[in-house]
Amino acid sequence: MKVPGNPERLSTGPRLLAGARVTVAAIALLLSVQQTWSQYTLFPAPASEKARILIEAATDLVALEPMVRDFQLVAPDVTIEYVEYVTNDLFAKASAQCARNELGADLFLSSSVDQLVKLANDGCGSRYRSAATDLVPATAKWRDEVFGFTAEPAALVYNRDVVPKEDVPHTRTELLDLLRRKSSLYAGHIGSYDIAQSGIGFLLASADSRHSSLYGRLIESFGRIGLVTRCCTADIINDIESGRVAIGYNLLASYALGAQRRGARIGVILLRDYTVVLSRGAMIPRTARDPSTARRFLEYLLSMRGQHLAREVGLIFNPAEMRELESTQKSPSGAEILRPIVIGPGLLAEQDQAKRARFLAEWYRSIAPTP
Amino acid sequence: MTIFRTSLYARVTIMLGALLIAGALSIGVAAWQYAIVAADEAYDRLLSGAAFQIAESIRIEEGKLIVDPPVSVFDTLALSRGDRIFYKVTNAEGTLLTGYETLRLPEKTPPPGAEPVLGNAVFSREPVRWVSVGRYISEPNLEGWASVVVAQTRQARDLLAFDLTLKAIGILALMSLLALAMVMITVRAALAPLHAIGEAIDRRAYNDLTPLSLEVPREIAPLAAGLNHFMQRLSDRLTILKRFIADAAHQIRTPLAALSSQVDLLAHERDPEKQKQSVGRLQDVVDRLGRLVNQLLDHAMVIHRSESVVGAPVDLVALTRHALRDAIPMAADDSDLNVMFESQQQAITVIGDSVSLREAIVNLINNAVTHGGGRMLLVRVLQDATATRVEVIDDGNGIPPEKWTDMLQPFQSGKKSVDQDKDRRGSGLGLAIVQDVARAHHGEVQFESRTGLGFVATLVLPGEPSPSDASLR
Repeated sequence: MKVPGNPERLSTGPRLLAGARVTVAAIALLLSVQQTWSQYTLFPAPASEKARILIEAATDLVALEPMVRDFQLVAPDVTIEYVEYVTNDLFAKASAQCARNELGADLFLSSSVDQLVKLANDGCGSRYRSAATDLVPATAKWRDEVFGFTAEPAALVYNRDVVPKEDVPHTRTELLDLLRRKSSLYAGHIGSYDIAQSGIGFLLASADSRHSSLYGRLIESFGRIGLVTRCCTADIINDIESGRVAIGYNLLASYALGAQRRGARIGVILLRDYTVVLSRGAMIPRTARDPSTARRFLEYLLSMRGQHLAREVGLIFNPAEMRELESTQKSPSGAEILRPIVIGPGLLAEQDQAKRARFLAEWYRSIAPTP
Repeated sequence: MTIFRTSLYARVTIMLGALLIAGALSIGVAAWQYAIVAADEAYDRLLSGAAFQIAESIRIEEGKLIVDPPVSVFDTLALSRGDRIFYKVTNAEGTLLTGYETLRLPEKTPPPGAEPVLGNAVFSREPVRWVSVGRYISEPNLEGWASVVVAQTRQARDLLAFDLTLKAIGILALMSLLALAMVMITVRAALAPLHAIGEAIDRRAYNDLTPLSLEVPREIAPLAAGLNHFMQRLSDRLTILKRFIADAAHQIRTPLAALSSQVDLLAHERDPEKQKQSVGRLQDVVDRLGRLVNQLLDHAMVIHRSESVVGAPVDLVALTRHALRDAIPMAADDSDLNVMFESQQQAITVIGDSVSLREAIVNLINNAVTHGGGRMLLVRVLQDATATRVEVIDDGNGIPPEKWTDMLQPFQSGKKSVDQDKDRRGSGLGLAIVQDVARAHHGEVQFESRTGLGFVATLVLPGEPSPSDASLR
């Protein structure tokens, strides 16, 4: 494992073999709700180390690893410690750290950008402005504290071998129709996030409730056919790939496309009625130990080079590629169906305790989560 | 700042510029205050609206008080994009329903009611604007005012206020610059007549002293009038001088002709007796000529002094006494002349030029001796509240009143030339000298025939010249 330049991976919590992250997560969740799953990865500086930053992320390393490595080509004197959490765990940890005012992580990366907005609203962020941040569209940054550095649509993913072509839905109405018509066939074979565990899941469900009048019917329908819920995108994609789950709803397209590139027999659909586009967010906390190096990394993420690479690895979705996603045969243009989640104080609605509790309760009432 | 003293243009421009800047600054401050109020008013509506929406969402479900802030609240507040949002919803007992537990209102805030209460505070290290509204719950057990507090940081408000102020100041600066430009143009135009006057005078021939015929604005009219008046005086003076020179030349030419003929006569006279007579007449002519020249010089001196000498205190009593002593020996031929001197006081001080005054008094006395009856001469120095008077009284017939004005002009003493009036040895300049001195002292010469007393010639000097009039110009 200790090949120079390769990251060393260690898991905290129950010490198990590296790579068996899915199992670790599942076991950790089974053992205790309090127990947090996390995975530590070290990227030693390629040259002699002059600085070291700790990135705490709720975004899987597989997607980000190319960017971390590319950054180290630009900044070979920086060692990066990368710790991965489940979104809600990261939020709890960051909140506590901010409240205690103690030095800690230098950068937070999270696909649950509403949580970063909440942290910034609580005064946990620190501002950073540069030529690169000025180029970030106003809807993808807030207060110069939270920056969106990716653009990933939430897609419908299906197993090509299991779902016949005529069954593939292209709108939510078609999906509802399919679940009604062939409920016995698809019962137990539709997957999505457990929104109590997954920040992305919650954010996407919340966006659905905002954008669509069909939301109530959708979760009702999901409840009826026994929705398979998972904490993380990769898990559901695996399930779909293996055929356990036929159709996954609201899954980050970047993961699905990654799996597709690896050869998975899956299809990725951007629903035509609307498709929510999510930005993963980055924020330098007020309590960063080495904010100047953190800024270098943030600067890289937002730079031409970083954005170009993000586009290449599929973290930034290009609407021009939509045709390849076999979604738009009947759709006039990509831009019309895309609903980017605006990074701003509007996302605080997602983080309101009462609202959140009600939303979750409503969700649970319809869907009994599956282990 | 020498330019300030030397240039009217600079003075007006700098003063007005300073005034405009001061005005712009004070209006700028006022605009800033107003902009803050305006921005607060605008955003307070959004804030209150948000609080009302949250209050609206408070309801009772299954016997429990719950709140479900609508998404639109956050979307409304998110209109001020850069601002942080804090809120807190509590039930009548103060138990948190949702929001920020730590958000607290200042001590003296009234309890929540239907009317929103607004205020400023600091929360989470940032100044915030907060609003508090209540919602009355009438359910048993839960009865009371549930409270909704919404706070927002001031970034958007400050930005709006700054923007408003900047625009106001921009317009203000533009207006001020325009005003300044207008003022500069106006001042330049206003000062143009001065240049015109200067040029008009420059263009004139040396001997052209006619009044300026320029059209000038009312404000500059006094200057033009002053200039015209000055030129008039210069012209008058020049006329007098010309006449004086012509007269003097004429007066000197006659005795010189007489002198020439006497010398001619003497040269051809062989009879010693007649030679002797001739020499005697020659002597007379030379004497008269000498006196004439002396008086011409005296007159010139008086005129010169009246224009150049600054006044000083002069004791008029002593001065007159000395003048009398000097003048009488000159007229001592009339041995039976009874000379008297009177003065009210030991000393009477006036401000003036002692040399000129003495010359005037001497001439008055000489005039009285020359033209008087030859038996009595009274000199008096008097002072009352308004004037000091030197009176010279003789027992002669005096000058007829119709000639009093003429007498004061040079060479006008009774229209008698030196030649025609051999016995009376006046040169025709004496009273003119007195008149010039009197004028230089802002006074005058008065004549009067007093029955039983004689002819009175008086030099009147105004009583107490103010210090600024002390100059004899």
